[in-house]
Amino acid sequence: MNTAADRGPAMPRVEVQFDRPHRQHEPRDQVAVRYRIEGCDGERIHAIEHSVLWYTEGKGEEDLGVHFFQRITDRAMMPPALTAGAFSTPLPQSPLSYEGLIVKVRWCVRVRLFFDGSRDFVSEHVFVLGRIPPARLSESRA
Amino acid sequence: MVSNPFSTRFTRPGRIEPLDEAGRPVDVEGLLERLRDLGGTAAIVGPHGSGKSTLLASLAEAIERRGGQSPRIRLRSWRDGLAAWRAISQSVAGETVCIDSWECIGPATRILLRLAAQLSGCGLLVTSHRRVGMPELTRCGTSASLLRAIVRNLPHYPDWHGTLICEADIEAAFANHGGNLRESLYTLYDRFEEGPRRIRAVVGTGPDGHDGSDGGHHGIHEFADGFSYAGAPERNLG
Repeated sequence: MNTAADRGPAMPRVEVQFDRPHRQHEPRDQVAVRYRIEGCDGERIHAIEHSVLWYTEGKGEEDLGVHFFQRITDRAMMPPALTAGAFSTPLPQSPLSYEGLIVKVRWCVRVRLFFDGSRDFVSEHVFVLGRIPPARLSESRA
Repeated sequence: MVSNPFSTRFTRPGRIEPLDEAGRPVDVEGLLERLRDLGGTAAIVGPHGSGKSTLLASLAEAIERRGGQSPRIRLRSWRDGLAAWRAISQSVAGETVCIDSWECIGPATRILLRLAAQLSGCGLLVTSHRRVGMPELTRCGTSASLLRAIVRNLPHYPDWHGTLICEADIEAAFANHGGNLRESLYTLYDRFEEGPRRIRAVVGTGPDGHDGSDGGHHGIHEFADGFSYAGAPERNLG
């Protein structure tokens, strides 16, 4: 996908580490992540947003719900003074992750960096909530 | 877990680069100059699924990159005329109100909205399937080359092109939908969905029904990193 990053400044990198192996979580579990920011090349970040959200993926209309949101604007907490961070939140009972044919429900953690000059960078990392088996095509279609 | 590169998330207006009928990038800055020459009010005209909304989104973003304001409205029926009215009446001189599917509202409402825009001094940039009495900024058309170019720009193209989606699938989707790119992409979405599941049906799944993936570390899904509002649905429309 062509993004502004392909044509412009270097792409930052946000490495995220989940506390659970395989990024598999159960309802009411705590999701906890640590992240590291690299490649900002001295660009000044004036805010960082942490969020945990679900969204639908498929054909047609989309939907999403923000479960956890935190915005950090404290200069002392910004790179390059701090190049790593962490956040955690308890997960809800639903909606559970679902791998359907027409629609999928995905959970993710998102770290969004706001640079000076109204530029922002989004890093999104999917995890799984619950254990709903993926939908399968019927024998006739498969 | 594998994301489908043809899902709306990756193909909706604002996510794909506007391309012309030959599949080349549209000169967005040039169109903005032309819009200014036309007095700030113009229409993007073209049939269903020809990339009008994608171009509108790109132009609106370009206006904002230049420091301007471009509130966006997507009309779904004549009832949405009130939302358009609000957007125009709240705009100030120099702004460009972007309205998708302008033909959804009747001629009388369109005249009233244009008058309101003139009074507030804002420009109007609209999309329409037919000529609507406004200067034409550009006309969108489609071709199989354009669809191929769009598909090439989708995430992780080399990973699935030639296996899950072949050139023949792209050609067939375009032909079956009479050149409607949106419908063609929906068909390719379905085709993409069928691929991995066909493979799973042969390979089999674990006892809990999972396919053995590690919850998303492999496969085609970690492509949501990027500048701009990646992943955020078009909440600002309509």
